[in-house]
Amino acid sequence: MARFSHPTVALLESTLLLRPLSRMADFEDAAMPHLADLYRSASFLVRNSVDAEDLVQEVYLEAWKSFHRFEMGTNCRAWLFRIMFHRLHHLRRRLVKTSKVEAFASPVDEDIHVAAPQVPQDIRDEDILRALERVPLEFREVVLMADVEDFSYKEIAETLMIPLGTVMSRLSRGRRLLREGLADVARTYGIRPASERGGESA
Amino acid sequence: MSAINFGSKQCERIRGQLDAYLSNELLVETTGEVAKHLASCVACSRELESLMRVRDALRSVVGKRLPPEHLGAAVRTRIRKAQPAFFSFLPVRPAWAIAYASLAIVIAAGVAGQQWLKVRSGRQMIATVLTLGVRDHLHCAIRGHHYPDVAYPLDELSKKLGSSYAALLPVVEARLPGFQILEAHICYAGGRRMYVHFIARGRGTILSVILTRREGEGLSAGRFLVAKTSGGVHLYDANLEGMSVVGFEARDYFGFVVSDLGIDEMVQLASPLAPPLRDALNAGTERGALPPRRSLFS
Repeated sequence: MARFSHPTVALLESTLLLRPLSRMADFEDAAMPHLADLYRSASFLVRNSVDAEDLVQEVYLEAWKSFHRFEMGTNCRAWLFRIMFHRLHHLRRRLVKTSKVEAFASPVDEDIHVAAPQVPQDIRDEDILRALERVPLEFREVVLMADVEDFSYKEIAETLMIPLGTVMSRLSRGRRLLREGLADVARTYGIRPASERGGESA
Repeated sequence: MSAINFGSKQCERIRGQLDAYLSNELLVETTGEVAKHLASCVACSRELESLMRVRDALRSVVGKRLPPEHLGAAVRTRIRKAQPAFFSFLPVRPAWAIAYASLAIVIAAGVAGQQWLKVRSGRQMIATVLTLGVRDHLHCAIRGHHYPDVAYPLDELSKKLGSSYAALLPVVEARLPGFQILEAHICYAGGRRMYVHFIARGRGTILSVILTRREGEGLSAGRFLVAKTSGGVHLYDANLEGMSVVGFEARDYFGFVVSDLGIDEMVQLASPLAPPLRDALNAGTERGALPPRRSLFS
């Protein structure tokens, strides 16, 4: 973080007048580098890119307003994601309330001991995007956090405010749904799964 | 959905741990156990490879989703708008604002400090020089009362001034309307001739016009404190020891007009007198007619 070490500037920074400037500099250095990560995840959790931009702006505005509560040196990225999901869940709750629809209607059965779906050997970008769209949001957000944003189970649990076991089950379910979606897409295009081409042996 | 299709109970148990294995969330010993099984089980290895392939594909696709270029600026704009109005003018990088503000404050403080020192030193210099005239006025005219009740005739005064300064008498006499020259002499201080002194009476008081040698001193340090400029001559004024004094510079002399009249009235009185007196001093009067005095700087 670029800070001025000159004693005069340090003194000025500590004054009431320049304290907001110093705070802005801290915010800039701590929060702004994560803009791309937040947008990336947001764009797969809302309807379109405009909504994603709005969400990210809301997140940063809220983060700025509560930045005095953020402890410098702790995980700012996780903090921003927590704000984003808090905001996202709030918006979803409001949407459910007004549209009278189920927030997280899960289309999957509860049997986790089903055989793994076979995914095509060559996964195209559009296929995985299509498959991801079919994964319900409550699973999709866990998959994105674990597999794309590399958060640990514990961080995901804290961010989404759910138990660790729920994180594990949602991740497992989400990954399976994604693979099923890919398998469906492959079938639509007549692509044979890898196992059918190479054979399966135990 | 397909039916359960695992090769063995161990495969079933291992596959239940593959998600955590992929996320590196297993304990070390469990990780070792899973790795050992994977080394010997093609089906489970293929299952893991499938999981990894999907994860990598997902990571690749999502990673390509970049924010629009304007998003950073839009976020910063919204944050700035959330600031109090006072800070809304600030540039995007507040660190630079701190640097600019600090620099401006340091420069302003430096300039103000320098000006304050100049004013202080200028005032001090003016007061020190003008004190020369005030003290001679007090010493000779006020406390010493070295003037007659009835004015000496002008020719007598010319003789007292001597050839070096006699030419100044008509200049002073003509430029002090309402005043009568009572006395003009070379004033002694400490047994040495130090000042050319004209003592005049008028407006209900005694007024002195005093000329003394400059010994390297000047009033230019206080030129921004000039009370008035008359005929190209800068007049400096002060209230010192209960007296109003107006001073000016000639090439080799200081001239002082001193009395207990108000300072503005004194400036008005000195205005027509200073330019011709300065010219007369510069034109003809030998500086050596007065002995050197001790410089104010020594």
